Amino acid sequence: MITQRGFVVVFSGVLLLTSGFAFINFYLVLLGVYLVIGLVVTLPLFALTANLAGIEVDRQIDKVKIFSGDFVRVRVTIKNASRRHFDFIEVHDQYPETWILAIGENFIASRIEPGGNITFSYILQARMRGRYYLGPTEVIMRDRLGLHYYKRTLKEQTEILVYPTWKDVRRMEALGKQRQLGLMFGAHRTKTVGMGSDFAGFREYVPGDEFRLIDWKTSAKRGDMVIKQFEMEKNIQVICMVDTSGSMGNGYPENTKLEYAIRAAVLLTHMGLERKDLVGTCVFSDMVHGYVAPGLSMNHMYDVLEVLAMAEPKGWSDYETAIQYVVEKTRKRSLIIWMTDLEENPAPLLNAMKTLVANGHKAMVISPFGPWFEAPVGQFGPVEKVLAEAVSEELWERRNKIARALARFGITVVNVGPEDFLPTIIKTYEQAKQRGVAMF
Amino acid sequence: MAYLIYSILDVNDIWHWNAPYTFVVTVFRLLSLLFFFMTVTMVNSVASIFSGGTIPNDLVIGLYNTLILKMWYMQPYGASGPLTNLQEVWTSFFVNLWQVLGDLWNNTFLFLYFLLAGIGIALFLQSLVRMNHKFVGGAFLAIQSIVVLASYRALTVPDLTPFPTDFVVFLLQRAQLLALVSFAYLELSYQMIYSYSVGKPVEDREETLKKQLLALRQATRKQDAIERGESVRTTGMSRTAGATAFSFLREAIERKVVGTQDALENLDAVADVRRLQIYVDELLQSDSRAHDELTAKAASPSSGYIIGSTIIGSIIRFLSVVAISFILMSPGVIVVLLDLPPGILNSVEMLQPEIVLLLLVPVSLLFPFVSMIISWMSQREEPEKPKLSKEEREAEKVRRKELARRKREAAKARRERARARKKRKSSEAEKDEWDKALEDTYGSA
Repeated sequence: MITQRGFVVVFSGVLLLTSGFAFINFYLVLLGVYLVIGLVVTLPLFALTANLAGIEVDRQIDKVKIFSGDFVRVRVTIKNASRRHFDFIEVHDQYPETWILAIGENFIASRIEPGGNITFSYILQARMRGRYYLGPTEVIMRDRLGLHYYKRTLKEQTEILVYPTWKDVRRMEALGKQRQLGLMFGAHRTKTVGMGSDFAGFREYVPGDEFRLIDWKTSAKRGDMVIKQFEMEKNIQVICMVDTSGSMGNGYPENTKLEYAIRAAVLLTHMGLERKDLVGTCVFSDMVHGYVAPGLSMNHMYDVLEVLAMAEPKGWSDYETAIQYVVEKTRKRSLIIWMTDLEENPAPLLNAMKTLVANGHKAMVISPFGPWFEAPVGQFGPVEKVLAEAVSEELWERRNKIARALARFGITVVNVGPEDFLPTIIKTYEQAKQRGVAMF
Repeated sequence: MAYLIYSILDVNDIWHWNAPYTFVVTVFRLLSLLFFFMTVTMVNSVASIFSGGTIPNDLVIGLYNTLILKMWYMQPYGASGPLTNLQEVWTSFFVNLWQVLGDLWNNTFLFLYFLLAGIGIALFLQSLVRMNHKFVGGAFLAIQSIVVLASYRALTVPDLTPFPTDFVVFLLQRAQLLALVSFAYLELSYQMIYSYSVGKPVEDREETLKKQLLALRQATRKQDAIERGESVRTTGMSRTAGATAFSFLREAIERKVVGTQDALENLDAVADVRRLQIYVDELLQSDSRAHDELTAKAASPSSGYIIGSTIIGSIIRFLSVVAISFILMSPGVIVVLLDLPPGILNSVEMLQPEIVLLLLVPVSLLFPFVSMIISWMSQREEPEKPKLSKEEREAEKVRRKELARRKREAAKARRERARARKKRKSSEAEKDEWDKALEDTYGSA
């Protein structure tokens, strides 16, 4: 392949040749011939030496699973397995477009001896969750004069899984430390009477009660034996239903409705694990893409992160299939938190809720409200503003209808924007704990 | 190269050092002539309006020329005094216009020789400093363009007519010497640029890394100082110095400075910079090779081999180009090689430069053809690696099967639900209370 520089030489040669022909001048012809022959004379030799099959590229990364926003070092080793010198070799190691090159450079240009190798590294920051591939690697070999080149793309790719961001958890932990609050502070206030530390009331003694529970002072006052009762501290079971239909992908690239829903699910799972509650996650659209049953195992958080990392906004929301799947898998009563934008027909949603309530579960819907995730209204012109407001009103009206319909099943719909998505999920969880919803 | 061209073209007496000045003066003369003609014609046209549509008499024109244009420099056009007749002005204009245009044509070429020589020397000097192909090629073309222009003007230029049949004679000709020097300049410059550029990326890489680490350190320190409540000089983290070459930090700064007002967003930007600093510090401490790998120091080629291979490569290329070119250009060689019939052998075309094409085209295409075959055969050597291992393929197959099964099940369940809904709708008596609730809600809205 001739480079741009090579074409300039060809052009100059032809110019001199034609000038020589036109003015019958052998000097100009000779110079033209020099240039043309100079361009091609070493081409066969270059083709013989530039056997790029002898180049091997090995890519190594520190971790294959990282959180969004984390840094990762990529080490690339280029080995010349052939017996030829590569005079000028350029290696470009490609990385995902959404990632940021934090330190170093992802390419190198040098020469490489037979059997020799070159190692270079660079540091990347993963910006968005998902499954990514580092590579392929493009190897370009040029001749000494830069007139010809051969290119080869080494398709070896390194898979790397990027979990959703952990920054919300870090932020919450930082706030918790600042306030000097214990993790369990105010979390366990249930109506269940049993073993605990908070006083619940008195009841009459019945044979079989433990003597140590008798409150002698009150018994003396009443003239009858009474038992002191305490509130029992119990944990709850929550299942996050994350809708990954196409409409959930609306919004700015890193701040779509789906991204917020995923962040909320991560936060909720973390909070649940910290407080020994069972939190499960179901990722669905027109089918169930992934389900992690509520649990407390060591790897539970990672299982949830993995399912959420793979979520892609596509398809439509089939609430009935999703709930059918979850209900079959879940025997205990649970609080099911839907994170959906409610863009589908209401009938299947209501049917899904029917199934859910009929199976003894509680539910609530946290719904990202479309326009708040789109372009800021400030960027619109007057006509777009009016249109946006009209659309918002229409959507709002529709949502009110859905909310009224769901209210009949005791299910509340909370419309949220980017600002209050995460606070709402925290609040919902706290309230569920305090009300003792879905205890197990 | 420039000197050789100067000395060869000197016999034409074209190197008048006042040529650029003469060219500029001629241009101005032409302009002044046009201006003179236009003004006189316009003044007469205006005057004719007032004099009832007739051309004013000689007295008016003479008066205008004497009073208004007496300072006009008319000598080059052969008019020593004021022209009193309009016809005289027009006649004088046409005579002088052709003379001035002719002068301009001649002077333009003289001017171009100087201009091209100036450009060539300037680009040559640039190429010494910047080591770039553009400057080398530009200098070469600019100097050779002088010969092309001089050939066009049919001046005495370096020539090899008739083309020598003896290789030694060919080598010793003055024009050949110029051609060799010109080609050698190109060849050597390109080789030197290679030697320079093969080590440069590694140096640049090290420099960039230094800047990046410094910028990162400064950004972290500045943030610490802000948190401690100390006043910070804005120059501490200059965006024009280190950060411009550092997209990560630049973006972090932009997010903080010109991003949204959201405090959390700012917090993230600062946290990112700090985390990167910690990451880099830990990396450099834990891995002693990390710094060298980031700079790719080991990839720097040895200068001894480069210089040696450059000299040998240049000589081989140079000699082979000269030898092949001689064979291609010499009709005598063609005669021996091809055993041409007498009709062609004694034709005038054998002495024309176009005869070169007879061999140049096939020979110059032969080289790419051979290299194409070689590279095609080399590609055959490349081992075809399977994309996925057997286990991975199996796992992928299972995953796809599972996905298809789940999709089928979901579709089946949907169909069943749709059937059930249809059935319910047809039997009015069995109206579900949930459906009623739905109808109530939407009916009332």
